[in-house]
Amino acid sequence: MNDAVDPFEAIKVTFFQECDELLGDLEAGLLAIESGAADDETVNAVFRAVHSVKGGAGAFGLDALVRFAHVFETLLDEIRSGRKPCDDVTVKTLLRASDVLADHIAAARGQAAPVDEARSAALVAELEMLTHGEAGVSAAEVAPEAVAVVEEDEFGFRPVAFDFAALDIPDEAPAPTPTATAWTVVFRPHSRMYAHANETGLLLRELGRLGPMSVSLDISALPDLDQLVAEEGYLSWTVAIETDAGEAAIRDVFDFVESDCDLSVRPLGAVETGTASASAPADDFDVAALLARAQAEVVVPAPAPAVIAPTPVLAPAPTPVAAAPSPAPATVAPSAPAPAQPAPAVTIRVDLDRVDRLINVVGELVIQQAMLAQRVIESGLARSSGISVGLEDLELLTREIQDSVMAIRAQPVKSVFQRMPRLVREVGEMTGKRVRLVTAGEDTEVDKTVVERLAEPITHMLRNAIDHGLESPDDRVAAGKPAEGAVRLVALHRSGRIVIEISDDGRGINRERVKGIAVSRGLIPEDAVLTDDEIDNLIFLPGFSTAETITDVSGRGVGMDVVRRSIQALGGRISIASTPGKGSTFTLSLPLTLAVLDGMVVTAAEQTLVAPLTAIVESLTPRVQDIHHVGGHDAVIRFRDEFVPLIDVAMVMGFRDTPVPPASGVAVVIETEAGARAALLFDAIQGQRQVVIKSLETNYQQVEGVAAATILGDGRVALILDVDAIVANARRKARPDLTRSEPSRPDFKLAS
Amino acid sequence: MTETFAPTPANGAHRELIAFRIGEQEFCVDIMSVREIRGWTPATPLPRAPGFMKGVINLRGAVLPIIDLGARFGLRTSEPTARHVIMVAHIGGRMVGLLVDAVSDIIQLTDEAMQPTPDIASDHVKSFVKGIFAIDGRMISLIELEHIIPETEAEAA
Repeated sequence: MNDAVDPFEAIKVTFFQECDELLGDLEAGLLAIESGAADDETVNAVFRAVHSVKGGAGAFGLDALVRFAHVFETLLDEIRSGRKPCDDVTVKTLLRASDVLADHIAAARGQAAPVDEARSAALVAELEMLTHGEAGVSAAEVAPEAVAVVEEDEFGFRPVAFDFAALDIPDEAPAPTPTATAWTVVFRPHSRMYAHANETGLLLRELGRLGPMSVSLDISALPDLDQLVAEEGYLSWTVAIETDAGEAAIRDVFDFVESDCDLSVRPLGAVETGTASASAPADDFDVAALLARAQAEVVVPAPAPAVIAPTPVLAPAPTPVAAAPSPAPATVAPSAPAPAQPAPAVTIRVDLDRVDRLINVVGELVIQQAMLAQRVIESGLARSSGISVGLEDLELLTREIQDSVMAIRAQPVKSVFQRMPRLVREVGEMTGKRVRLVTAGEDTEVDKTVVERLAEPITHMLRNAIDHGLESPDDRVAAGKPAEGAVRLVALHRSGRIVIEISDDGRGINRERVKGIAVSRGLIPEDAVLTDDEIDNLIFLPGFSTAETITDVSGRGVGMDVVRRSIQALGGRISIASTPGKGSTFTLSLPLTLAVLDGMVVTAAEQTLVAPLTAIVESLTPRVQDIHHVGGHDAVIRFRDEFVPLIDVAMVMGFRDTPVPPASGVAVVIETEAGARAALLFDAIQGQRQVVIKSLETNYQQVEGVAAATILGDGRVALILDVDAIVANARRKARPDLTRSEPSRPDFKLAS
Repeated sequence: MTETFAPTPANGAHRELIAFRIGEQEFCVDIMSVREIRGWTPATPLPRAPGFMKGVINLRGAVLPIIDLGARFGLRTSEPTARHVIMVAHIGGRMVGLLVDAVSDIIQLTDEAMQPTPDIASDHVKSFVKGIFAIDGRMISLIELEHIIPETEAEAA
């Protein structure tokens, strides 16, 4: 697949992908710490995230990123080891540091402008002050945790945190009690062993299968850099192991290398125990690192000395302790963060194209199945016949396959939600308001395309909520509210759609002002009588902005009309509910997928059309006495004591020139996303059907009044109606003035 | 889908063209842009589409717009019948069906054989015709497919 891609670039791409994930973990972790929901593992996870970023960045020579990450990480390490308290101030600083780290990564990626150096430097200073503010850095031991990380060295190498459990080796390394089953193994490989492509890490792993062990590395034989011979074996390992297997089993492990190393296996004695445990903690992690590499490179075992060699070369004056743990991780830095993840869910990365191809084919299958079913019905076979029964089973299976395939594309909205805390912090800072963001339902899943296209509207609406919705802290206190405003961002599933709610506890919509502005901008006539809801909906009009002065935050020339358009483009609706003094709630309702749609199949002037089921309120047969004409020939129909416009779809679509008597057709009452109702007149209703959405734009262009196309059971293309556009269009033709809640503007072109 | 045609020779001297008929006139397009040729199937009309836009058909799951080339050129048009032919062409990243009366043959020509469009042709026709070839007394106009699809209206923005 990627033959043409430079492997280094490919790894870099992977690194940045991982950075995204790591940043997500980082932020989530910090927020957990902030809210007090953190445990030790959270702090470790946060540390690991920064550490992994730094390591990878080092491998790619991204110096600015490495420098920042290093300072960041140093403070985190202090906190992790308990030498620094993690108070409120610190967490706030860490959060801002994570923002800058994200900026550094974006800049390194070439996606964003270079990082604001002043901001970065200020944070570095802040971080350093927090780090060195109190007790000096002690050369304390690494916390002996199951999942721990080797102390970083100063050269940008990225040690790999490693979980022993993943290798089925007991991670606890208690000093073995001197019983008959405890052994001390001293293992000193010669260079020959490495030349024969044997691997200490693998041998030790093998040994670990025999029982709990503790390993210490002796590097005393390691010469200074200028005397170091890369191919020589300088290292020796002392292993204290508890096993029932006996000496023979232990020697068996080294069977193939026995002649290429010095090996001694003895029952555990007091002297060895002492040395082993003294250096155990740090050395444990060396083994971990080596094992990690063995794990990662098990297919291509390389002689260890060759791997060690780069360290001294890159690091002019390494202290032996720093040099020893680092070589292995350095070689695998870009590709092996996986072992560090606790209890990972089993996932695979799949090219999106492949998934989409599968979805397309399944779409075809659904169509084909529908065609087959139709043919069988046409052939007049009895319902109880074997073919019909088999076909029903096939339909169930097809539906299940389709659902499963759709589930592959489904993603939690978390990836979007995770970006919002930063936004809220920044907007809060800019506007001088105190804001708390509460999110819920991050795990709600929706199609990947929908997720991606949600970020912008949500960003915009959160900005609005803080900038326009929330009052300043003083005003809030005066109004008897807590100084800190709350903004809620919630996702949930409701009747086959995903609903996103963005609410604030601010001042609510100032209807007087909204109406005044709408009048002054000529959006509504001065004498228009509007309900509260209608006034609230005015903010969705193009060219409407309530901010008296254009602010940096939300006055960027785009308003809620843009939000509404982008939501509509996804087949969604947006609505607002506001209570003066209590706050506003924006509700987005979106389809779970852009691939299928539940529709009502109808006919109009010989043409088969599909109306989205979500828009349909009711269908009815028009009675002559219910139909009235307002003014010239704008028909309205009575629907539950309400008169709604009656729109002859075939006429609007240009499928016929002369109207037919309404009573001969079927009226389908629909509701537009703005809540306006209308009745669409069709010739007949064929039934309800799930249809596969096909884009018209792929090969043609957008067509007004048409949301998309689909392929029906007879193999022909049917158009899916954009009911909102049809209603807007009919009204535009009929009356340009505003009489109902959904104001339509002549320049309003529907994005479908 | 599979492209089996050999690429044009590097010197560009030889062109392979598909010739087709609309009414009495003959036209041709570069064979490389034609993906397949199929019989006419009824199309689903699009609302308020220009007259030459016959509608859309299902091409193995893709929605394919059908342009009546005759109408596009401003020639007389007839209701399509089963004898009409749709040439599925690849134009600027899109697949478009071109409705023509019949496909006549495949011709090989050099660029030197191409003559400029005579000035007597109307501007409308000239905008589609890149040049003309004279073969055995026939006049065959080479069509510039890129101009067949009308510029997308502002609403597509």
